[in-house]
Amino acid sequence: MNDLSIAATQSSPAVNSNWQHGLLSMCGDSYPENSFELFDPVINWVERYLDESDAPLRLELHLLYLNTSSIKAVMDIFDLMEEAHRRSRPVSVCWYYDEDNPRAAELAAEFKEDCSFPFDILSKTS
Amino acid sequence: MREEMGLEQRVEALLEDPAYTGHPLKQILAELFTEYREQLRQMERITRISDHYQSMARDSNLSLAERYQKQMRQLEKIARISDGYQHMLHDLNQALRQASTHDPLTGLANRRLILDSLHAEIGRCERNGAHLSVVMVDVDHFKLVNDRYGHEAGDLVLVEVARYLQRDLREYDLCGRWGGEEFLLLLPETHATEAMSVVERMRLGMRQLVIMVGDVDVTVSASFGVAEHRLGASVNDTIKRADAAMLAAKRAGRDRSELAQ
Repeated sequence: MNDLSIAATQSSPAVNSNWQHGLLSMCGDSYPENSFELFDPVINWVERYLDESDAPLRLELHLLYLNTSSIKAVMDIFDLMEEAHRRSRPVSVCWYYDEDNPRAAELAAEFKEDCSFPFDILSKTS
Repeated sequence: MREEMGLEQRVEALLEDPAYTGHPLKQILAELFTEYREQLRQMERITRISDHYQSMARDSNLSLAERYQKQMRQLEKIARISDGYQHMLHDLNQALRQASTHDPLTGLANRRLILDSLHAEIGRCERNGAHLSVVMVDVDHFKLVNDRYGHEAGDLVLVEVARYLQRDLREYDLCGRWGGEEFLLLLPETHATEAMSVVERMRLGMRQLVIMVGDVDVTVSASFGVAEHRLGASVNDTIKRADAAMLAAKRAGRDRSELAQ
């Protein structure tokens, strides 16, 4: 089980997981000094959840700024989800962006490019 | 191959022929034939294994190439997205800088940028003795415009006045919104007398300005106070003198320009 509950800092997002509901959310800016330290547990959680359960996984992202290694980590998570999707596992992503900043939606679309599972890019009114 | 099969068949036939039972060569031939069969079997096995290895190596090469391609694609994508975030950040920074130094209504420099520029210009005056004039401009009876036509009309008047004030300025002059209906002009390399003639022209031109508010034409005038910076004086002193001159113009009946003492 072991859910994640990581508080946000100025340079890293809040991360919360809910195994029971198959939900993982990340919220905030991400330019941590050590991105492996932050994302390793997250990637592990996703791997474990996809291995040990067969319930759907839903990712909710409210990410503003991502540095390069955070981009890599997020892509790794999407790769895991894509593999699971190919095995007919229901997985989905909701990527929320601030409607004042449409550039963020364009970047989310770049992430979406290689994903064949449901991937929604939604504006939120601030 | 056919000949070989033929040979094997002939040897088998001879070995089975009872006519040679007990013949000393038959025993040797039988052993030799068994040995030969075993060698053949071994050879086929080795060939099979070798083929298998070859195809495995080929497969692993392929998957290595595939993995390499995939990594390259991922790397390119990461770089592309990362560049996107850099651009986004850069643009947001610029928007933030613009917002922190400009008035959102008129797009003019705000008080912060006016003061920064004034400090820089006065620094230059102090170093090389250049002249600098500062002009305080206040729209006359602005409150009446607001009261009579509403705040939106008032805003429109401010936007038009701002556009007018900027129109004939030189590239290195600065026009900013000091607050409310007050504007401040910075005229570097300009004596008080030159500044006065610039300002007189501006004042007369402003009376010709017709601003359409709905279906009403609104005309405005303004009072101007001109102060030339005195060497050694502070930024504050110079602004205060321009302000005092502007108030003197107001007291003298508005739609006037006054030179600071």
